[in-house]
Amino acid sequence: MNIRFDFIMHWVYAIVWALLGISGFAMVGAKYGWLLNFDYATADYVHRLMAAVFVLITFISIVYEVYRNIKNDKRYLAWSVFGKSGYQLFTFITTLILIITGVLIWVHNGIGMTGMGFALLVHEYVSYLALAGVIWHIYVKCHALIWPKKVDRQSEQKGRGGKADVAKAMD
Amino acid sequence: MLQKPWIKIFIWFMATFFFFLASGVIISIFKPGPTESEVMQFMMGMMAAMDQSMMGVAMNIEHHGVLQEVIVLSTKFMIPLILISTAAGFVIRYVQRRNDHVKP
Repeated sequence: MNIRFDFIMHWVYAIVWALLGISGFAMVGAKYGWLLNFDYATADYVHRLMAAVFVLITFISIVYEVYRNIKNDKRYLAWSVFGKSGYQLFTFITTLILIITGVLIWVHNGIGMTGMGFALLVHEYVSYLALAGVIWHIYVKCHALIWPKKVDRQSEQKGRGGKADVAKAMD
Repeated sequence: MLQKPWIKIFIWFMATFFFFLASGVIISIFKPGPTESEVMQFMMGMMAAMDQSMMGVAMNIEHHGVLQEVIVLSTKFMIPLILISTAAGFVIRYVQRRNDHVKP
């Protein structure tokens, strides 16, 4: 089984984003608390833990893209999290904003309450934007949800370009 | 890879999760409230989170004499244990390398 690096990174990013999303939105305010049954402590713990993983994934993805640029690798990686245009660029920008504001919220020394409030505001609204982006992304890529058709093995062997025909052609 | 059934199930799960998350956020934004009970529950959650944070844990340790003694004792043990295990690692490597020269 040939598993591509960008495929793995895409889905690790998706899982981490999902956990960050559910734990983060549950902490926005009292109106959102029901999302995780008002378990703020767990949400806080999960959000901080996943944030560290999120930063790590982002770092690895950026290093990978820089490495590809150095190697002059012009191949378009469909599963790559970050890229130079389209949704990949959107993800890159929102990810950086979320990480920078997240760090400001976590290590809030020196920015004061105003700075922290502003960071929280930006973090929250960029999260809404990023979530809307995810929904749009799923809508555009919804062909990935189509269940694979069953291969009719009998018709394959009766000479419709199946493996048997390939084997015959090789003989 | 994308044609594997388990990958399809996983993608369906993730897509459903994100749609439910977005629905939850939209419901949260537009629902009336927050009610007094919601605010109380949310604040209690915040208090619990503070209690479990590094600051909260440190504050709890301050009033726990036995736990403090255990932490001090384990800290004293830590450095010699690291040194002993490092030395043991080197000894094992050395012994194994020496044995590698003996051909069966």
